[in-house]
Amino acid sequence: MIAIDSRPALAPGVRLQLDKITGEPVLLYPEGIMALNSTAHEIVARCDGAATVEAIATALAAEYEIDRHALAGDVLECMEDLRRRRLIVFTA
Amino acid sequence: MNHRPYALLAELTYRCPLHCPYCSNPARVSAGGELTTEEWRRAIREAAELGVLQAGFSGGEPLLHADLASLVAEARGCGIYTNLITSGVGLDERRAAELRDAGLDSTQISFQADEATLADGIAGARAHQRKLEAARIVRECGIALSVNVVLHRANLSRLREIIAFAASLGTTHLELANTQYYGWGFLNRAQLTPTCAQVDEARRIAAEEKQRHAGRMDIFYVLPDYYEQRPKPCMQGWGRRYLTVNPTGEVLPCPTAASIPGMRFDSMREHSVAWIWNESESFNRFRGTDWMPEPCQSCPQREIDFGGCRCQAALLTGNAAATDPVCSLSPDRKSLDDYLAGVAANDQKLPPWQPRENPAAF
Repeated sequence: MIAIDSRPALAPGVRLQLDKITGEPVLLYPEGIMALNSTAHEIVARCDGAATVEAIATALAAEYEIDRHALAGDVLECMEDLRRRRLIVFTA
Repeated sequence: MNHRPYALLAELTYRCPLHCPYCSNPARVSAGGELTTEEWRRAIREAAELGVLQAGFSGGEPLLHADLASLVAEARGCGIYTNLITSGVGLDERRAAELRDAGLDSTQISFQADEATLADGIAGARAHQRKLEAARIVRECGIALSVNVVLHRANLSRLREIIAFAASLGTTHLELANTQYYGWGFLNRAQLTPTCAQVDEARRIAAEEKQRHAGRMDIFYVLPDYYEQRPKPCMQGWGRRYLTVNPTGEVLPCPTAASIPGMRFDSMREHSVAWIWNESESFNRFRGTDWMPEPCQSCPQREIDFGGCRCQAALLTGNAAATDPVCSLSPDRKSLDDYLAGVAANDQKLPPWQPRENPAAF
């Protein structure tokens, strides 16, 4: 379970990059490449080890004028998926 | 052209301080004519322009290339993710810091076993202790560390110990790769092929340990494909996602393709990487599905496993365009079953393996 006051960051050895051919964002890691949809990209780009999960959800809600509570579920689901793939890590 | 490469394997040299009998490097090469640093820089830039997002620096032992850090920097400058695939021998603090500062993203260190006597026996060199040092240095200097262990009949029975050992190194990524029989590995096939009983037990242990380490260390278990019923989707298809540049500049769809009799591979010394990828005869030879014989041609799996491995088909049947004999539908599967039926039950019947040698000096 991800705590909303924890701070996500890209895991060691993981890099966010634009694919020059498609212009799409991708996560690069030791054994693979993962294409990100625009929502995932918005989230990952904010995983800087400083912002909390809550702050990221709030910032995204403000930017896209969506209800923060409605968005929080999607943000947590996306982060949980990335955490399981060991692409992001959390600090307290 | 729908195909673009995602990953480049840069085999910087075939020289190596280790003599592992399972090495997939070609058994007969000369050391002469290795690409220069400037030529490697061009290979990297051209690969990036084609769409490559990842580069593995490999060999042989890539640390033997004095300009490795500058090649890592070149790749990073092109937006390429960089992975060093090394024995760890020669990776001291100074070298690791230099590579990290050049932008190296991750390092994979190979181990031969969980303890020095067995490991050094397999490597044919006193390397295990130096690898332990290298793993510590990589971790401490902040480069992501993954661990690879090639499995075969001499170490498969220690799988549980090997996994516990890898966990103790502090890696989050362990690749357990059952030997694929190419190059030296094919020469030593009889000495390396595990028994069916070993394979069954290893499969069970790998599944258990995967569960046990879940959340701390990801375990990737590469199956011993001779014992499988369906072929591996080799390279995700010929000339589809991967390209290899070997030490002398040949551009290949996979690192062992040069072993295929009768095929000629173009060199980046004579052509651009883009031309070779898009236009060359070799890259188009087994692209797509048109080349496929039956039973592949009408098989619903044909775009899942791509007919298996061309090098394996060539090695086992003499015909690179044949269905990979691993497939139970292959007309050649029986020869593989006969081979497996003849795998020695105990090691006493086997002559010693032939240690991997370095390329002849020029």
